[in-house]
Amino acid sequence: MLPIPHEFAIGGVFMPPLLIASFLGILMAIGTALVLNRYRLSRYFFYPPLVLLSLTVIYTIVIGTFIIGI
Amino acid sequence: MILSRKIKESIKTALAMTIALGIALWMDWDNTKWVAFSVAMISLATIGQSLSKGLMRMFGTLLAAFVALSLIALFPQERWLFMLFLSLWVGLCTYMMGGAKNQYFWHVSAFACTIICMSAGIDPVNAFNIAMLRTQETALGILVYSLVAIFLWPSDSYADFKAASRQLASTQQQLFRTYRELISGQSDDVDKEKNAQTLRTNEVQQQTHFVQLLAAVEIERYEIWESRHQWANYRGQVVTLSETMQRLSESLTEIKALELQELLPELKDFSDEVDERLSQLNLMLAGEAPKRTPETIELVANPDALNTLSHFHKAAFSVLLTRLKSLETLTRTMYDTLADINNFSMQRAPLVKNNRPASVFAPDPDRLLASLRIVISTWLAYLALIYINDIPAGVGIVSMTVPIGMALATMPQISVSKLLKPVIGSVFFVGLIYIFLMPKLSTYLELGLVIFSVTFSIAYLLSAPQQVLGRALGLAIFFSIVAISNDQNYSFLAVANTALMFAILFIILAITAYIPFSPRPERAFLRLLGRFFRCSEYLLSTMKSDPNQPSTRLESWRKAFYARELARLPNKLAVWGKFINTEALSGSSPEQVQALTTRLQALTYQLQELFEARGSSQADFLVQELLMDIRAWRNQIQKTFQQLSKNPTAGNSQLFRTEMHQIIAHLEVRIKETLNKLTENQLSAQDGENFYRLLGAFRGVSVALVDYADSADNIHWERWHEEKF
Repeated sequence: MLPIPHEFAIGGVFMPPLLIASFLGILMAIGTALVLNRYRLSRYFFYPPLVLLSLTVIYTIVIGTFIIGI
Repeated sequence: MILSRKIKESIKTALAMTIALGIALWMDWDNTKWVAFSVAMISLATIGQSLSKGLMRMFGTLLAAFVALSLIALFPQERWLFMLFLSLWVGLCTYMMGGAKNQYFWHVSAFACTIICMSAGIDPVNAFNIAMLRTQETALGILVYSLVAIFLWPSDSYADFKAASRQLASTQQQLFRTYRELISGQSDDVDKEKNAQTLRTNEVQQQTHFVQLLAAVEIERYEIWESRHQWANYRGQVVTLSETMQRLSESLTEIKALELQELLPELKDFSDEVDERLSQLNLMLAGEAPKRTPETIELVANPDALNTLSHFHKAAFSVLLTRLKSLETLTRTMYDTLADINNFSMQRAPLVKNNRPASVFAPDPDRLLASLRIVISTWLAYLALIYINDIPAGVGIVSMTVPIGMALATMPQISVSKLLKPVIGSVFFVGLIYIFLMPKLSTYLELGLVIFSVTFSIAYLLSAPQQVLGRALGLAIFFSIVAISNDQNYSFLAVANTALMFAILFIILAITAYIPFSPRPERAFLRLLGRFFRCSEYLLSTMKSDPNQPSTRLESWRKAFYARELARLPNKLAVWGKFINTEALSGSSPEQVQALTTRLQALTYQLQELFEARGSSQADFLVQELLMDIRAWRNQIQKTFQQLSKNPTAGNSQLFRTEMHQIIAHLEVRIKETLNKLTENQLSAQDGENFYRLLGAFRGVSVALVDYADSADNIHWERWHEEKF
């Protein structure tokens, strides 16, 4: 069952779920990029900046849909 | 108790900040952060430097206010046209900011204009008041800091300037002595070459320091201001001396086989004389009268020794002689200029105009790219402001994108990620003060103490010249968040919105950094390298036509553009080269990259020499006889440049060397045959000199190309081409 969308209260400040999901998505995309750079796998991509952007979107949607709920 | 200079300067900044903000609150002005920004930006090490920057900030703000009010008046109900012209103005200022002069003036002109436009755009009735408020608050900040700097522990730049000018003159003299020893073959070449390399690096740094201090003392001291044109002349001559000596060093490899003592019997006297002149310059820079005036030494080649040389050795010798003669003229002019400045001379030194091609406007493609980048960044911020409902910080997103975006666009080597740490740290630190400390304050005495302490801490911790951007950013974030006013209110949203605004801002700047090319230093290096060879190829192709024939305006413009590009690119490559992460590119060291850029600089000098030599007239007889051979050589070099422009890493030094030796051997025979056909008086001395100069220049280009290929062979280029995040 998918999680129900809800706001995050951090120290009394309410954050929208999409903000949290996109923040985590960016972090995970950067982590993936670092790993791909480390093992020289990024050379197989035609245009890595676009891949980074795509990874951010994919991670945000996955985290938002299955973990946080957006 | 003796306070260090660092503490004194920090106290001055903090005190000026506290007084200026106190006055702004007493006057009941809004947006007091503008006063604080003004103090934060102009607080530099000496009065002259601060006043110079303050003046640029003031004039920049005045121009910005004028442009902003004009835009608001012209497009009151046309938001797209309004933004179009504002972004074009920002683009123009960014282009101008990339130049050598008044960079800060153009920076302020753009971002102050954006701030006024954004603040007044939503409140056009008060546009004039907002523009005036910005102007008077900037003026207040400059005035208060200047008064504090003048009355409290005043420190001027004069002593530093004197020291810097002497240090530069001394380095140039040491460099001359090193080259002199290399020419005469007195010492070990490898050690001396290394020594010369170190001296050249120091010389470049000292030149920058000298120019900065000269700008500061011109404001501090009337006597320097009075002779500013002479100083500008001297500054230009120092740069020319540096270039001349570097060109001289390029001749060294070619003249190693020559017996210079026999060829130039006066060489030792000549070197002594130049050395002595450089010593006299040092004396005059120390304020002492020169002990002697320059003597004339005629450098005349020994004809008997000259006749024993091969034609290519004669050519190399001819190039060396030209360079030595220009050194003689230059040092004499420098002596005259300094004697005039210090009133040691009865007659004024003539104000020599720079002889570089300045009449033709040749835009710099990299500065145009920076303009394009900032225009796109401004538009993205503006579109975000319009289409994202309740975007954090509102119009502030556009106002902040412009100053930070301009700084990054003109320094594309600095990655956006480098700003993350200082900004996150500053927002967190300021957030703590704003949320937990500031609500407890009730009088200006208490608030003043907080302003003083925070400003002092930031100024003290980030006092090094290379930390100036971090200091400015830290202070700007502090005063933006706390937004000091007489009706102070506190909201966590101020901190949260600022943090989110920076997040959006960095995303915009990270996206535009890739427009239109990748910002990775190694990719930029390869791109510029390709451009360098394209320029060289084009300029060489223009040598097809007769130099005496008039060319069209477009041809002249293209030629001037490429010539300017050729002169600029080695320096740009050297800057990008420093930012290449060589650890990630296995097998290549920073020294190898530096050696490559040095070779490119040498190639540039040789090409410039070739174009200059090409401009001089040649004897008809020689042209008829040797035209085809010289043309074949030129075509060969041109073809090599064409290959390198497509792939700058494809140089094959062994092949280049073999081809060059073949051409030289063939030409040696052809020249001998041609000269044997000459009847007496068919070739004048001037014709002979011009011919050997051209021949030497061709050879110089070929040698420099081989050297470049040698250096390029040492670098592992495969990793440079790989895609990376």
